[in-house]
Amino acid sequence: MSALEVKGVSKSFPGVKALNGVSMTMQAGSIHALLGENGAGKSTLIKIVTGIYQPDAGEVRMNGSPVRFANLRQSAAGGLGVVHQERNLVTRFSVGENILLDRLGKSALSRVDYPAIWREADKWLKLLELDVDPQTPVTRLSVAQMQLVEIGKALSQQSRVLLMDEPTASLTPNETQVLFRILRKLRDDGVAIGFVSHKLEEVFAICDRVTVLRDGQNACDSADMKGMVRGDVVQMMIGRAERITARAPRPMPSAPPLLELKAYASNLGHRDIDLTIRPGEILGLYGLVGAGRSELAKAILGLARQTGGEVRVAGRPVQITSVAEALHTHGIGYVSEDRKAEGLILMHSVLNNSGITIWTRLAGKLGFLRDRRVEAEVSPVLQRLELKTPSLQQTIDNLSGGNQQKVSCAKWIAAGVKLLIIDEPTVGIDIKTKAYMHDLIHELAAGGTAVLLITSDMPEMIDVADRIAVMDGYRIHGLVENDRNYDRMSKAIMGFIHGREAA
Amino acid sequence: MTGVPRSSQMPATPSRSAVSMRVLLSNEFGLTALIALTAVVFALTLEGFTSPFSLFAMGRQIGIDTMIGLAMMAVIVTGGLDLSVGAIGVCAAMTFGWLAQTKGVPVLPSVVLAVLLGGGLGFINGFAVVKSGVHSFIITLASMSIFFGIMVFLTKAAAYNGLPAEVSAFGKFKFFKTISPLLLISVASCIGLALLYRFTVLGRQMLAAGANARAAELSGIRTGRVIVACHILTGLLAAMAGLLVVARTGAAVPSMAGQLGQDWLLPAFLAPVLGGTLLSGGRVSVLGTLLGATFVNVLTSGLLLMQVGSFWILAILGSMLLAAVFTDRARQVFLKSRGMI
Repeated sequence: MSALEVKGVSKSFPGVKALNGVSMTMQAGSIHALLGENGAGKSTLIKIVTGIYQPDAGEVRMNGSPVRFANLRQSAAGGLGVVHQERNLVTRFSVGENILLDRLGKSALSRVDYPAIWREADKWLKLLELDVDPQTPVTRLSVAQMQLVEIGKALSQQSRVLLMDEPTASLTPNETQVLFRILRKLRDDGVAIGFVSHKLEEVFAICDRVTVLRDGQNACDSADMKGMVRGDVVQMMIGRAERITARAPRPMPSAPPLLELKAYASNLGHRDIDLTIRPGEILGLYGLVGAGRSELAKAILGLARQTGGEVRVAGRPVQITSVAEALHTHGIGYVSEDRKAEGLILMHSVLNNSGITIWTRLAGKLGFLRDRRVEAEVSPVLQRLELKTPSLQQTIDNLSGGNQQKVSCAKWIAAGVKLLIIDEPTVGIDIKTKAYMHDLIHELAAGGTAVLLITSDMPEMIDVADRIAVMDGYRIHGLVENDRNYDRMSKAIMGFIHGREAA
Repeated sequence: MTGVPRSSQMPATPSRSAVSMRVLLSNEFGLTALIALTAVVFALTLEGFTSPFSLFAMGRQIGIDTMIGLAMMAVIVTGGLDLSVGAIGVCAAMTFGWLAQTKGVPVLPSVVLAVLLGGGLGFINGFAVVKSGVHSFIITLASMSIFFGIMVFLTKAAAYNGLPAEVSAFGKFKFFKTISPLLLISVASCIGLALLYRFTVLGRQMLAAGANARAAELSGIRTGRVIVACHILTGLLAAMAGLLVVARTGAAVPSMAGQLGQDWLLPAFLAPVLGGTLLSGGRVSVLGTLLGATFVNVLTSGLLLMQVGSFWILAILGSMLLAAVFTDRARQVFLKSRGMI
């Protein structure tokens, strides 16, 4: 009997099929890796298992009996603990209060029995080999200690199934080793542990079974990891190298560089960044989540402080201090990865969203501006992008993700930017629009725009970019010319991220 | 409202019934209907409701309340608010009184200087909000007390009763025996603001920054400056509202807006919220604010004629503010479920 079983689960969101008949079986006393690229459906699966989402089809079973949790509280009561990627601790509370946060008293008005809380919390801290007093405020802990407190919190709910989403993302190698020792101990005690990570070496170090998702489907279902090598897993994760359509090789642009970063450093933590982008070139910036790519984009736009090195635009040294300056003075635009929070003004119309970058330019005397002038500029761009909308006055929130993404690009094309930074252009977008976006990027480059493409989607990167810079830990670790040979390129890129080990 | 939609992929424009449904559910339509209904009922049942003086007084008060509502609306656009509108209004009024009465400055320059002072106080609010990143509620709660306190200290809480005669003459002036110039000034301000939001870059930037400051910033809008501009606009309008009150009473009185200027807060929020301005920012209705102030005053005048106590009227207005917020939510949900917004 399996501790947690997912059977043929499907889930659709408007415009996207996030999961399509996904299965996974987790056994007690086993550490089970859940792998997949960004957007493959890992988080959706975890959210379905823990009751945040309800599946459209399929079922979840625990210890053989079907379960359907309505929310996180129910799944926790059902013995399913989750440690999320982001911290969920009340930092001003003590360690003990955090561990027992949902059980501080019998009812809202009953007295909090602190001695009992300290006792109970201490038990879990001992198990986790965490040498802190339960009365310590969480603010005084290190990131790794907080991580362990989160695990203690999950375990204290009598969880026999523990799901961990990127638990090592913010840990040092030493701290990771400690965490692994504890996970092995829990495993030997019979806990079923689910482990989501982008770091394959960790997966190989600690997991014994693996489920890989690709485009919302199983690339493999709870396979035994014995005898598997890294290449097998990578193959499953990114799969179909054959999907890389051989684009015609593009002539290397020889124009003088549009943007140059030399030994650039920012207050966000970037160090020694050297990058050069020429007009008409597509420079890829690859890296895992948290590598500092979007942060670099925002630093270039003037949203962070430059602390060292040099930035040159069209050969001239510059200090960009605001997005307005980046756009209006230097012609730099940024398509955000977070379309809803940063890319678009959801409650405003298609027209206002696509024209926002050119209002100032189009304004007449006293800043007066007619819709018709904006329309005249924006319409050809939207037509070229084949935007589907009932009218330009349509609220953009009502458009599909793909069409929203077209508008986020359209505003920069309308503005005629010379450098366009595009951050994860195809996350949560259907396959047809995805191919369309790739063509669009090529078209822009062919027209002389310099493109900095940020993506964690390896096939996309190898399909679209001319050169690929690899970033990890806020530094550039290498730069490769893209020859569009998938195996060679992905190996080279992974090699830069994982150092010698992967080579 | 077309441009792109000529390509074959574009579905037809929304059906006529959807459009008319949207009109019927709009704040402006609902308010106009309510105003008409209330006015007709009062006109038929209450003696004196339609007398020239009653209409004149109602119109004059509508003018003042509209201006107060516009002042708040200008900052609600950003998703913020300004509790100091009353204090700014009084400060401007007292400045005008000091200039025109004590310093002998002619009326028109005094008006201009007083309005500019309001803009300056608004700038202080906006600057503090943008630089500190603290919500405008706290900033303006503090500045309300500061502005009012300094005003009381400087004026020793004494009113300016000896203003030039043309001030109260202006407040009493009637076009066609019924229309107050105060109302006309407010209507003109409405037109000005409608033009600002509809046809100028600054107005559009205000709406964009109010709807999603982050996205606006990343689209090259200097969000900080735009928000400061919203607060300055609020200050200017609040000062104008203060001067309208001076014209009505014929004197500049420190207590004209209550302690700390709080008496203005209910009308300040009622008019824009009734009118459909979104409290979370990013959407305004200038016409709605005018209609909101009109409805409030039609109702108030009628109730006063019915000799309902003023404390009851306050309670009714307060309930109306709550009801307006709830109906707005309900309407949003309904339109959204039909995909109409």
